[in-house]
Amino acid sequence: MLKRYPTLRYILTRAGWYLVTFMVAVTINFYLPRLGTSNPVDIIMAKVGAGLDTEAAKEKEEAYLKEFGLVELDKSGEIIRNESGKPVRTPTWKQFRNYVLMVMKGDLGTSFLNYPKKVGDMIKEAVPWTLAIQIPTIVLGWIIGNVLGALAAYRRGVFDKIFMPFSLFISAVPYFAVGMILVYLFAIVWNIFPAVGGYAGGLIPTFSLSFFSSVIYHYVLPFFSVFLILAGGQAIGMRSMCIYELGTDYIKYAKWLGIKENKILFYMFRNAMLPQLTGLALSLGLMVGGALITEMIFSYPGLGMAVLTAIQGNDYPLIQGCTLLITVCVLVANFTVDIMIGFLDPRVRAAYGGK
Amino acid sequence: MKRLNCLKLFFTGVLLCGLFSCQNSRKGSAEVDFPREKTLYLAGFQWGDPNTFNPLSDWPAFPVGGNFNLMYEPLMVYNTLTGEMEPLLASSYEKTDDVISVMMDPRAKWSDGKMVTASDVKFTYEIGKQYPSAPTSFVWDYVATVTVDTVTDTTEEGRSIEKVNFIINKEKRNNPLVVMDFLQAVRIVPKHYFTSLLDSLNGEFSELQKLKIDKDPVVSGPYNLLTYSGEKIVLKRRNDYWGNAALYGNRLPKPEYVIHPIYKSNDAFSISLQQGNLDVSSTFIPRIWMKQKEGVSTWYKKEPYFVPAAITMLVVNTTRYPLSDSKFRQAMAAAVSYKDIRELAFSQYSPPLQPGLVMPFGVEEKYFAVDDVQKYGITYDIEKAKKLLAESGVKSVFGSDGKLSHMENSKGEKLPTLFIKSPAGWSDWEAMVRIAVQGMREAGIDVREGFLDASLYWQAMPNGDFDLLMHGPSVSVTPSQPWSRFEAVMSSRNWKAVGEKMNENQGRYNNPDSKDYNAAVDSLLRLIPTITDDDQRREAYRALNNIFMQDQPTIPLVYRPEQFYEFSTKKWTNFPTEENPYAPPQCLCFGVGTKSLWEIKSTAEQE
Repeated sequence: MLKRYPTLRYILTRAGWYLVTFMVAVTINFYLPRLGTSNPVDIIMAKVGAGLDTEAAKEKEEAYLKEFGLVELDKSGEIIRNESGKPVRTPTWKQFRNYVLMVMKGDLGTSFLNYPKKVGDMIKEAVPWTLAIQIPTIVLGWIIGNVLGALAAYRRGVFDKIFMPFSLFISAVPYFAVGMILVYLFAIVWNIFPAVGGYAGGLIPTFSLSFFSSVIYHYVLPFFSVFLILAGGQAIGMRSMCIYELGTDYIKYAKWLGIKENKILFYMFRNAMLPQLTGLALSLGLMVGGALITEMIFSYPGLGMAVLTAIQGNDYPLIQGCTLLITVCVLVANFTVDIMIGFLDPRVRAAYGGK
Repeated sequence: MKRLNCLKLFFTGVLLCGLFSCQNSRKGSAEVDFPREKTLYLAGFQWGDPNTFNPLSDWPAFPVGGNFNLMYEPLMVYNTLTGEMEPLLASSYEKTDDVISVMMDPRAKWSDGKMVTASDVKFTYEIGKQYPSAPTSFVWDYVATVTVDTVTDTTEEGRSIEKVNFIINKEKRNNPLVVMDFLQAVRIVPKHYFTSLLDSLNGEFSELQKLKIDKDPVVSGPYNLLTYSGEKIVLKRRNDYWGNAALYGNRLPKPEYVIHPIYKSNDAFSISLQQGNLDVSSTFIPRIWMKQKEGVSTWYKKEPYFVPAAITMLVVNTTRYPLSDSKFRQAMAAAVSYKDIRELAFSQYSPPLQPGLVMPFGVEEKYFAVDDVQKYGITYDIEKAKKLLAESGVKSVFGSDGKLSHMENSKGEKLPTLFIKSPAGWSDWEAMVRIAVQGMREAGIDVREGFLDASLYWQAMPNGDFDLLMHGPSVSVTPSQPWSRFEAVMSSRNWKAVGEKMNENQGRYNNPDSKDYNAAVDSLLRLIPTITDDDQRREAYRALNNIFMQDQPTIPLVYRPEQFYEFSTKKWTNFPTEENPYAPPQCLCFGVGTKSLWEIKSTAEQE
């Protein structure tokens, strides 16, 4: 029936697959951190139990196991114990059921390590910073990288000879190295940009000019630390794609027909861009976790560090909350690109339309 | 091409914007919310998002947890330099064998104007009796009851003063030393505020512990919480703080704001200190002498730079052969180059190590016995290590290349390699472990580095799941030192088998059920807190330290400070130092170190 609407059929099929992927990802995200032998309450006890003696520490530990829903409770709310008096742990499938029920209600739970802070609140406070640093960097880096790459492929000559080795060099440098070099040169040696933080230490976030100008001032170094590498990498990819397209029959044919240069450039760009678009989707999807190094070098606000400490400390609810966010981001970004490709690439439509 | 031009234009715009704003914020320092000359920046106590400011929760954020005196205050404060208790909410204390009493300062007030009274003290302690999950629950092994008397002040005409008596729990611990610790460790909370909160929650204490108490909390200290985020915690001076008149001669603390920025990497502390964006830091910064020209300073201008207060050591699992043999443990102790550890791994931030658990300086110097240390102490000596190893019956087998292959017991059976567990990424500890491994292998002891994830480390420690383990027990300097260090290392009072959790003596030294149980250790540990005679106490510590040195249950590696205390003199001066020791080296918010806030001077003011 949908044969008459190939694009719609394509979108619905993709959506179905993404739903399956989502459920598998959530399950894996839930089970993976729990596979190891380490126990989140042990890390909390290392913080809390230092001055306590053994018996008091044991009581406290059980209180936390109970609070975090990691032990079985009887009807009166007491911990169920086995013969040797040790609390009975809640089986993982039961924890998973509780987790899914909570998420459906929109509750991501309470962080263990940042108890009693809600995971939802932590994400809400940190995510705007992560998005603000990542989206413009990735999108601008992608656009400028691709345009420069296409230009280099088309123009060749001196521009390409200088630009290409430079891009190769810059894209091969790790993020942290660029970040550290930028901090060293611009913040320590010349002292023109700040080394630390997302805004001046003497400010609190408000809708004021001084706050926003401080944010932009602090934005420059972290932005360039990612932007340079990203643009360089994209440019290299785009350049080789374009060179390939330039050698294809349709471009030669268009040239023989005497079609205007700009038009040919546009055809080439459109075709060469398709694989680059998938790359954009991937980097946009991974941006939540990907900001970690930028965050650490510049002590920039964001979610990356929270994800790292959560994983190190087995903070299950926070890991689940963040991985859920990452999963959703990756899938939404990929889905969007899939739809765009569906519109941009007639071959995809044709495949789903049948003949 | 037009589109491209647009992009270029936009891009240049962004750049210009950045440069413009940079100029702008340089000139417009008046626009900031917290003027630099009135703000003290200190960092290193809060890592990650502040979770809660509830003093009744288990690990509240800076400055509510720990020994911070900015918001909530203890009864007394312990001066780590002099070993004296100094007044705060209580003006003095008396100590007998049965009871420790404090006289409440009648001038102390909460920020809502109500008096700080003995009933607040009673409430703070007794909430731990009523609710086992309260932070004060563990005091009841040491305190039997808390009673209140009203006495008439003789110095000032007929004013009545409350006296709070902590009756020592003789049945359980009988340990007045730990009760002295409580006086300076337990922060008093306002009864009226928390009882009304508890009533509104129908007495559900676990619900009360979930409250963040971050909006206008009722405090007794000189600062109160103004605002916080994942980036910083901002405290504002309380100009009506009771202690300004009562303790500081009507003076205000100098900084109007105290800001604790939350950094994400160690480098940020060092850079910010050198740039004058951070005034006080409590993080490990290697090679601090390289930063002195940037105005970064420490307690001592020369090495060891910091005041030693605790011992970082290798805990030995004494239940596993050959670690169960004290000769073997001594051989290990003789094989470690303590000088290399101090100089290469710890940036010389420690005076030379002396054997034993008593430190030869500061408050505990009086318990240090040179003769004993020379007689029983093990120092670095590879030849002696080899000799001790041979005496223990363990034989080292070397490969054809001359390198150590493995160890064999007296029957010629191969022994497994021993591993030193230490959290991966703790670079100073990793360096110490490498030096120890190098020395021990040279002496023929088959030891390797066992760096592991911190979460697994914390799990291995109480369960005794290790051969050797890096650990810094009992770091805080309290009235009960060095007893609490001995207790943390040698006590078998709460003996649990390997696999069950033990919070002290994780190496399972001196099993009470074994035939070579040395009852003297536990009885000395029980006795010392009750001794009142100085000579007797010295003798008891000597006896205990001699047992430690002969049995070597752990291997002390290096001294470390209670906290790293670094400051920048770019914006504030007159910090306490060795030459000007008006307060101990505690980061201006901690213990007696808090009083430095009244003494530092803004550099802007001096100009």
